[in-house]
Amino acid sequence: MNRLRILKRVTLVLFAIIVVRLFFIQIIEHDAWVAKADEQHTMLETITAKRGEIYMMDGNEPSAVVLNQTVYQIIIDPAVTPKDEIKTALDKHAKDFITANLDEVYNAEGLRYYIVAKNVPYSNASQIASEGIKNVWLKESNRRVYPEGEVGSTVLGFVNSDGLGQYGVEGSLNHLLTGKDGLLKSISDVNNVALSIGDDNVKIPAEDGKNVVLSIDRGLERGVEEVLAGAINSTAATNAAALVMKPNTGEVVAMTALPGYNPGDYGNVKDASIYINQVTEVPYEPASIFKNFVFSAAINEGKMTPDTTYLNTPYTVVDGNQIWNAEQRAILNDQVLTMREALYWSLNVGSIQALKFLGDNPNEITPVGRERLYQYYNDKFRLGHATGIELIEQEGFIWEPHAEIYGLDAAYANMTFGQNLSATMIQTATAFSSVVNGGVWRTPSVVKGTLESDNSIKPLENYEKVEDQILTEETSATMRSLLINNRSYKVRAGIDKPGYDVGGKSGTAQVIVNGAYDDSMNNLVGSYIGFIAPSGQMPEYVVMVKMWGEGQALSGGEAQDLFDVLSNYVINYLKIKPGGV
Amino acid sequence: MNRKHKSDLVILLTTLGLMALGLIVIYAIGPMRANVLNTTYGTDYDSNYFFLGQLRSVGLALLAFFLAFKVIPYKFLQKFAKPLLIFALMASAALWILSLANASIVKCELGECRWFQFGSVSVQPAEILKLALVVYLADFLARKREEGKVGDFKEFWIPIIIVCGLSLGLVVVAQGDLGTGVALIAIIFGMLLVSGIPSWQYLTMAVIVIAVGVASVAMSSHRMERVNAWVTTLTGGESSDSTYHIDNAMLAIGTGGFGGVGIGNSVQATGYLPESINDSVFAIMGETFGFFGLVFVLSVFCLMLLRILRVAGHTKDDDNRFFVVGIFSWTLAQVVVNIMAMTALVPVTGITLPLLSYGGTSMIFIAFAIGEVCQLSCYTSREGIKHENISSGGRQRGSYYSSRRRHS
Repeated sequence: MNRLRILKRVTLVLFAIIVVRLFFIQIIEHDAWVAKADEQHTMLETITAKRGEIYMMDGNEPSAVVLNQTVYQIIIDPAVTPKDEIKTALDKHAKDFITANLDEVYNAEGLRYYIVAKNVPYSNASQIASEGIKNVWLKESNRRVYPEGEVGSTVLGFVNSDGLGQYGVEGSLNHLLTGKDGLLKSISDVNNVALSIGDDNVKIPAEDGKNVVLSIDRGLERGVEEVLAGAINSTAATNAAALVMKPNTGEVVAMTALPGYNPGDYGNVKDASIYINQVTEVPYEPASIFKNFVFSAAINEGKMTPDTTYLNTPYTVVDGNQIWNAEQRAILNDQVLTMREALYWSLNVGSIQALKFLGDNPNEITPVGRERLYQYYNDKFRLGHATGIELIEQEGFIWEPHAEIYGLDAAYANMTFGQNLSATMIQTATAFSSVVNGGVWRTPSVVKGTLESDNSIKPLENYEKVEDQILTEETSATMRSLLINNRSYKVRAGIDKPGYDVGGKSGTAQVIVNGAYDDSMNNLVGSYIGFIAPSGQMPEYVVMVKMWGEGQALSGGEAQDLFDVLSNYVINYLKIKPGGV
Repeated sequence: MNRKHKSDLVILLTTLGLMALGLIVIYAIGPMRANVLNTTYGTDYDSNYFFLGQLRSVGLALLAFFLAFKVIPYKFLQKFAKPLLIFALMASAALWILSLANASIVKCELGECRWFQFGSVSVQPAEILKLALVVYLADFLARKREEGKVGDFKEFWIPIIIVCGLSLGLVVVAQGDLGTGVALIAIIFGMLLVSGIPSWQYLTMAVIVIAVGVASVAMSSHRMERVNAWVTTLTGGESSDSTYHIDNAMLAIGTGGFGGVGIGNSVQATGYLPESINDSVFAIMGETFGFFGLVFVLSVFCLMLLRILRVAGHTKDDDNRFFVVGIFSWTLAQVVVNIMAMTALVPVTGITLPLLSYGGTSMIFIAFAIGEVCQLSCYTSREGIKHENISSGGRQRGSYYSSRRRHS
């Protein structure tokens, strides 16, 4: 056979084999290969939704106090990136953000793609980028920025490293602030860089989180914290908390507890309990502040007036327990006093007397009295219950009127002066607001709403606002006059300015140590609550303060001193116009 | 020699057409290649780097083609057959020795040291060796045939074994360049087939070469790994690092389907497929142009090869004919082995696809070789070589060789 013909046939056979093989791969197996290619080429990437920002009020304008900052991670490839160049550039432009030891990174065997700096702001990152060093990548990420520092940390909370809001509004409104992540599905190259090839690319845009506007006044918040800090410095207190709210709307304009922390550096605290909101999450015994509530109940039920009298003994015995007045003076002991005087001197025997009046028997506590007090404390003032404010809340505790315990009457006697029960500051202040605002219990609120694109503020959905007339306007007016009377000597001392009606009530609570009240009086929590009104007008603000320190005796007197400073600060800062003098 | 007539236009056109196609493909995927290298190795290639490189190669290849076609007569080449081979062998030997000495003149890529680097120009001695071997063997075989020594052990086989053994040794053993080795073996087998040696000698040679080949593969773990990878892919086994190249070549070809994804839409070229512009360019073409496009490309190659074979069939001079068959074998081997590797029909050997793959030396030399074929196509006889003995030593035909043997 002609050997050239052999070559020709060999050629044709080889090409035929190849064509058959190609037909097999490209036509028959085509779908399988496409599926395999999709697996290899498709990149799924989450488009992170931008977290909503948080605003406080600056006068009448929302002003951002929690922002997002775009920051960059700087990534290098030690196998390729020139070490000297990147080292010089980092030292020059991003020294404070370096997170890796370059010598170690470069000495490590087989290491590629390493983060050498984190949280680098845009300006620094762009300077590094402009150096044009080979194989240096910038990876964008978002960082929560709190330009106010520690101010407002009680209300704001923080965002943890998983992007989850914790404590404060960041925690309670996390669902609103978070938004919804989007998805990017694209064909990418071997280095996972998206390509414009193919029409299967999918982009579901992220829904950014809502911007939330708080009713907190930015400047007032800062000022209140400064006043509290001053009080901590000048007393034995290690902690102080304060709340300023509008009794006529329930809006909270300042809420704070010291010491605070910087939410931008939340990890750097000694004790994680500092995150807890002392105003909404810590039930305690507000003590004599509660006398307002039993007085309100008895007056509202028509069982007594401020002028109703009783015999004030140094102590009274209930269920075999002696319950003593804190004030033991000759002018008070074994005297017939009015209920006004009982409140003025904060006499425990007097508040127990109010409970007796409430129970239709001036000589003893009756089941009817307990039922009525419970009805007021629990059902009307909603003490011990979450108020519905847009923050994380703890409840509290009120003895039921028929609780099967030994000494229930004694417990109820204690409850008239705010012991043997527990309530949070926000519960107490909300109840107090209804005492002074004409008798309406209103759900307190710290959030005005979400800031919409047209700059309007849209109230939050799913937050029910309760308005409940629990006392008559007359009862409320009577209570205001009693509370103003409580501070009559403050007016005489020139502390409460002319043109303003300031009323208030202090409370000194014994603290339970090892299951029993510490009678040594070495461990006391001081509270004070009051209102500020232009003279002859309805109250515009309710202010509550609390001071404490472990092993320290902080009386209502010290809390009162703090209130004095704070109430004047609030009048000045908010420019509350005086009433007709 | 026959009167000069027009050259074979088909060979000319298919050659130019393939070069143009290669340029288009490199134009489309060159930027992706540059991007991958820049990202992965920190190089700084411009996105046009590979296209411009290919443009330069094509320019030089065209120059070589026309020099061979019109300027350098084959007779001239033939005159220097021996010095050319000696030069090529020495260059290969020098490359090997210098690479052992880590000389800077030697360029290595991925651990294979196969190039001389002169400034910005790199030259692969193996390509010179292929051409030189073809020229030398054509001359040698023609002389032996004239002397009636074809098949003679001492006069014929000893020199062949020495020359071929030396060439293969320097390429396969010293440089580890199995791709060139396959091409050399194809050249030797192709040329010897038509040289008129008896069938039994040819078959014996085939058995010996296959045995040596199998043994050398079995003894090299690197080559065994490639064979294992091939078997794995062919039998649909689990993917691994060693099957990555062939897996991705198949993936590229398979996703092409019937019509391909279109120019510039290759995803595999964005870094998934190694050597996408060199040895794997066929796979990228499969992805880009699909089955339809690949069959077209194959047809062009097939047409070109058959026309080269036709030139051989119509060439009267033994010397010229052997040369043309050598070039045919060389081209065929590279085309078939490259494509079969990409389709998992044979193990990956690292061989370029003539005229299409990126790379200067290989394109320039194959263009030069085809240019010489075109030149020789001007001197073919119209009726072919019916009476000229290119057949085996069948006695009934009274072959030149066998009659001589009877006399000896």
